[in-house]
Amino acid sequence: MRHKFQFLNYSIFLVSFSFIIFTSCKKEEGYAIPDPATQLSNDCIKRTLGPNIVSLPIEFAYAMALPKSKGKIVSAQVEASIAGATGTYLENNSYYTNASGVDVPVRVGSPSVNKDNLTSVAFNVDTNAATLRYFYVVPEEARGKAVSFTFSASSSDGATVSYKMGPYTISKMDIKRTFRVSNNNDSSYISIADMAVYNKNTVAANAGKIDLIYLYRATPAAFTHAFVSPAADAQYLPGITLPAGVNRNTKIRKVFNLQDFNLARINVGVFIDDQDFQEINLSDEPNYAIGLKAEAGTWVETADGKYRAYIFLNSVNNNGSAVISMLRYPLQ
Amino acid sequence: MDKYLKILFSFLMVVAFAACSKDAPIDEDGLLVTARAECFVSNFELLGTDFVTVRSKTAVIDTTAQTINVEVLFGTDLKNVYPQFSLATDCKLEPKIVGKMDFSDIANPKTFTVVSGNRQIRKPYKVIVKYQ
Repeated sequence: MRHKFQFLNYSIFLVSFSFIIFTSCKKEEGYAIPDPATQLSNDCIKRTLGPNIVSLPIEFAYAMALPKSKGKIVSAQVEASIAGATGTYLENNSYYTNASGVDVPVRVGSPSVNKDNLTSVAFNVDTNAATLRYFYVVPEEARGKAVSFTFSASSSDGATVSYKMGPYTISKMDIKRTFRVSNNNDSSYISIADMAVYNKNTVAANAGKIDLIYLYRATPAAFTHAFVSPAADAQYLPGITLPAGVNRNTKIRKVFNLQDFNLARINVGVFIDDQDFQEINLSDEPNYAIGLKAEAGTWVETADGKYRAYIFLNSVNNNGSAVISMLRYPLQ
Repeated sequence: MDKYLKILFSFLMVVAFAACSKDAPIDEDGLLVTARAECFVSNFELLGTDFVTVRSKTAVIDTTAQTINVEVLFGTDLKNVYPQFSLATDCKLEPKIVGKMDFSDIANPKTFTVVSGNRQIRKPYKVIVKYQ
């Protein structure tokens, strides 16, 4: 009886174990080749990453195709919920990627036409498949709002298709790239409010708006390239006599290795976004940043609390100059 | 059949005993308390907000006087620096460093205590900062 009971237990264990093994080895559902499209169809991707900034383009790739027997593509158009700024266009080239990975253009239509919110291309070649790039230059009126896009295409058989993209939130940030600053009163007065650099001749008219002074000093060795607030201690403004009215006390934090894609324009997938400006706390920071290097940056908050900015040093030259780029976020 | 059941039972007993064996002692931070009595700072670093060193030369660590003398670059913002200590094996530091710290009160150097691996020896180290 005892042996019979043990045998029963053993059998149950074996059956359970075998069941687990067999179920885990069950063949997965096979992949089925999808049926080819029988009519005009379309697809779209957004190619631009990162924040959508006023004055910069957002790039899309819009693909459309229909069976050869159905006819040819006649037109393609994009409708934006807010009309794009000057420079918005839909390419009249279709692209394919060759064996070397290079995108090769093929002319398919006449140059695009912008009318109000619409950007369209009329095809003038007999083609039944194309991928057009769309570049939407973000207009000022879209700042802080959401923008949506409706891509559509029509074919010679009378069919139309459309594809909605978005909504995409437009950043409140402003961007200004590659302006030169240089030492000793020559283009060394930086205004965040104006996103501009003034020199000894133009600073007097803008004295109340100067947030930073660019300096280069070879000695002490730790000084080199610097952004110094006008209200900083005199030891950080060696040899500088400030024009009347230049007295702001700007908070500055040095950072390194923060190469924002839009400022640095190198292939680093790092983006500064509105949220970064909203969350950073600069209240304990000093009013100077010395010892700056190429590809370093500084977070800045203006004395009146109106703006935060990130100033990136694209390049520096030890003759006492630098090329900088700036992202600015309005706090009020 | 009995043989298999005995093997299975023995295996389960081993697993059960291993799971219930007494744990090694840990301290209030969940760190292992060991038999080591070494208690010293082996290296010291001070980083700025850009995580680049602000030292002008290597910090001088006196394990007898229990001081760390560090000279920082001109213009260093000592209100916002990140200290880094390297300690002897199994030691820990009090207070803990959880972010940037203020070393700007040069006249009153900060003190950090190194606690040995056996948690029996405590050595306070004074961090003396001066500008280049």
